[in-house]
Amino acid sequence: ECGYISLPAPIVRLGDPITASCIINQNCTKLGPESQIRWKLETELQPGGRQQHLPNGTLQSTITFPHFNHSRALLSCCLHWGNGLQILDQAELQAGYPPTTPHNLSCLLNLTTNSLMCQWEPGPNTHLSTHFTLKSFKSRGSCQTQEDSIPDCVPEDGQKHCSIPRKHLQLYQNMSIWVQAKNALGTSTSSKLCLVPMDVVKLEPPTLWALEPSPEVAPAQPGCLRLHWETWKPSLHIEQKCELRHQPQRGESSWNLVGALPSRSLQYELCGLLPSTAYTLQMRCTRWPLPGHWSDWSPRLELTTAQR
Amino acid sequence: TALSPASSLPRSFLLKCLEQVRKIQADGAELQERLCATHKLCHPQELVLLGHSLGLPQASLSSCSSQALQLTGCLSQLHGGLVLYRGLLQALAGISPELAPTLDILQLDVTDLATNIWLQMEDLRSAPASQPTPGTAPTFASAFQRRAGGVLVVSKLQSFLELAYRVLRYLAEP
Repeated sequence: ECGYISLPAPIVRLGDPITASCIINQNCTKLGPESQIRWKLETELQPGGRQQHLPNGTLQSTITFPHFNHSRALLSCCLHWGNGLQILDQAELQAGYPPTTPHNLSCLLNLTTNSLMCQWEPGPNTHLSTHFTLKSFKSRGSCQTQEDSIPDCVPEDGQKHCSIPRKHLQLYQNMSIWVQAKNALGTSTSSKLCLVPMDVVKLEPPTLWALEPSPEVAPAQPGCLRLHWETWKPSLHIEQKCELRHQPQRGESSWNLVGALPSRSLQYELCGLLPSTAYTLQMRCTRWPLPGHWSDWSPRLELTTAQR
Repeated sequence: TALSPASSLPRSFLLKCLEQVRKIQADGAELQERLCATHKLCHPQELVLLGHSLGLPQASLSSCSSQALQLTGCLSQLHGGLVLYRGLLQALAGISPELAPTLDILQLDVTDLATNIWLQMEDLRSAPASQPTPGTAPTFASAFQRRAGGVLVVSKLQSFLELAYRVLRYLAEP
């Protein structure tokens, strides 16, 4: 090898100076007394570069870019040879920013996958390869002391969420959770959440049906609708409350809300509606009285009230 | 924290325990359904003789009886029973690939409830110095014995949970 590039720091903050040296060995046959080392950044020849012959016979050139503002660039060390340039070595220079504090960390317990899914905002682009890690530990009380550690959750590349599997969770005990961001220029850590996984459970919506008239079920009164609903099967063991919203399909009226409904009803009559009018209805549920998140609204159910 | 009149236990603790028991019952029912569907092992009463030879232990809830409810003793027996059944469930490892995921979730849920109760016992200063150990696990000589053992263990666990649910519900009465 004739020559090589030496870089004290291949990665710097955008706008900071960066220095590189190219050293050519004395046994490089291409080397002559008049040899000139030249630098190229990407494809552009670069002025400058302090060249000196060292006592041990090597030839060294050092170049400094005072305000390096490329996030990524290829630096080549070349030697004049014949009437052209010979590339002796290349190095990749990078510049960017240390990671800012990840923010808006939030978590939901997903009963389908039995995992705790956490998501966050990574903050502005650092222009550098930045790795995020979801860290957590089990705790008692208010997460001041660590009881058991939990393996780091490493998201797939570029993802801003990670799921902690059920086997690492104690669903009814406090755990402290935070995000760490790390790149070549530094590390930053989000603020910590202290939560009980079951208290951030998010349910799937209930299923809402119309109750068709039958020998056991009398037809609905004018201005009424007969409904029944059932909560999402994986949540049957969870005590819940639900709410129903309805609005006429025609016109601009807003939703009407019927709250604090039981999580299951074989037969429910909703009255006080306009007769022979088409309505849209939706329902959602939440864990209650223990804490939890509201489910999304159920798919729309469209029904028409009986005539007068 | 709001306490339930029937006991000095926090109401949220009791509501969580009730929820956990319902979940474990659902997990257990699913395992029983799968054992029945996959291996035609549907009735514990058909496995009584095998049960004797396996020597499966039973958990007592004598301190939880309505006539002589002794709260700290009852919590201790609830915890001890859950530790016992967790040990028995662990002995079923390798029962069959189709049942393994359901068995894993059941074990995790039983462990969670045992931990919840233990921490409450510690808060009440009624927890012994060290946690009870599950005791010697039965040995299953064949895949059939392990599956049949699964039917018997889950059946005993369901009976235990039925009693536990009743006492927790009594303790949680407003």
